[in-house]
Amino acid sequence: MTDNGESIEVRRCDSCGARFLPNDGACPRCGSTRTRPLAVPALGTVLAATEMTSPAEGWHAPHRLALVEMPEAVRLFAIVDGGLPAPGTVVAVRREGEVYRARTEPTAG
Amino acid sequence: MSVHVASVGMGKYGKRPEGLIDLAAEAANAALEGVGRRPIDLLVAGSMLAHGAHGQEALLPRLAARLGLEAASGFRVDSASGTGGMAFHTAVVALETGRFERALVVATEKMTDRTTATNTKELAASLDASEVAAGATMPGLAAIVTQRYLERFHRSTAICDAATVHARAMSVDNPAAHFQKAVTPEEVAKSRLVSTPLRLLHCSAISDGATAVVLERGTGPATVLGIGQGFESVRLVDRDDLTTFAATRVAAQRAYQNAKVGPKEVDVAEVHDAFAPFVYIHMEDLGLSEVGQAPDAFERGEVRRDGRIPVNPSGGVIGRGHPVAASGLAEDAEVALQLRGEAGAHAVARLPKVGLAQAMSGIASHNFVTILGRGGE
Repeated sequence: MTDNGESIEVRRCDSCGARFLPNDGACPRCGSTRTRPLAVPALGTVLAATEMTSPAEGWHAPHRLALVEMPEAVRLFAIVDGGLPAPGTVVAVRREGEVYRARTEPTAG
Repeated sequence: MSVHVASVGMGKYGKRPEGLIDLAAEAANAALEGVGRRPIDLLVAGSMLAHGAHGQEALLPRLAARLGLEAASGFRVDSASGTGGMAFHTAVVALETGRFERALVVATEKMTDRTTATNTKELAASLDASEVAAGATMPGLAAIVTQRYLERFHRSTAICDAATVHARAMSVDNPAAHFQKAVTPEEVAKSRLVSTPLRLLHCSAISDGATAVVLERGTGPATVLGIGQGFESVRLVDRDDLTTFAATRVAAQRAYQNAKVGPKEVDVAEVHDAFAPFVYIHMEDLGLSEVGQAPDAFERGEVRRDGRIPVNPSGGVIGRGHPVAASGLAEDAEVALQLRGEAGAHAVARLPKVGLAQAMSGIASHNFVTILGRGGE
């Protein structure tokens, strides 16, 4: 598994150093609003994933969602394109509008 | 200043033809009868879903008029599925000021007249908008939490099945509960998948119902010994550990300190198992079990009515059904019934001296712990 050169933008808190997913304001750890963008490689590890057979209105069943740990210990939820990944699976993550999407890396070759 | 639960009105939970106010009035009138209709000077009520579809923003004046409580003062509270717990705590705090003498606390919900899709969408309002935008639902996030727990403690989904089996074994003895039939582990394991690994019977049921209690100044068998609340990030990605809920730990620490008791002194507990495996996380966060070991307490029968620490003798949220706002108050109400010796067929084997109730909002973003026991004054 190598870095494919893609990145996603997270935030770094100037006050406490926490790294976190962009939100509507303050650092979720210390509450400081002094934060700055930080680009991290767009490859993360699946912590858990679920397949919803009764998704929310507007989504097609099954809807797959993964909790992914990105570099700098930043976590995000990503919509999974493809099969349900097992915990520990490395996925490429990209931002699409206001959501993140993940696809399982193709096998070698 | 001491406050105690003077009476409980447990409405029947399930699919009910009545509306929100009718359900509330049924439970409220039962609680009011319990104190011989002595005067009420405070009404605290809550409902998560009374807004929107039901258009019943004026919950308090409607209830006051229906119950003949126009002379009372009132507060409406709102904390999603923890609303009932918040209503109880609000009344306790108000009575403790000495400004009020006797409070009627009511939590009511009407859900079965709407589609599952509508309920799912409205319940997701207690989740983070960015996570909902990715299609997260309550069961979806609960499934992620469950997976993290199973993985961290090397457990199989059999523990989820066992939690449901316990809840349903308890609820058959509780006439107010939605579910009056026990289930086997096989039936649970064969129910349809909702959000892997959670199956239908691991998830609480959409239900109608209301619960009411009368709280008054003074002491009794169900005196409020301590209360505590805690918050944790609504956005789950900001939490370091999903196998424990900080909102419960903080609420419990405050309640135990307030009550001057510890987990070992708790004789009965009602916890908010909106999803069956959450019962384990709650037990561990409340100190009723070692971290990672609550499933063993279930397996050894320690949580049964005659066990070391009876948990959810009412059937809990899984067995009782989940009219969301009402559940948080049903937890306090059940513990009061147990302490007052009024639990009937669902009474624990030994009359408890100290009981604990825990309510949860959303995925544990705002939790409430109440400790009840015999008043010393």
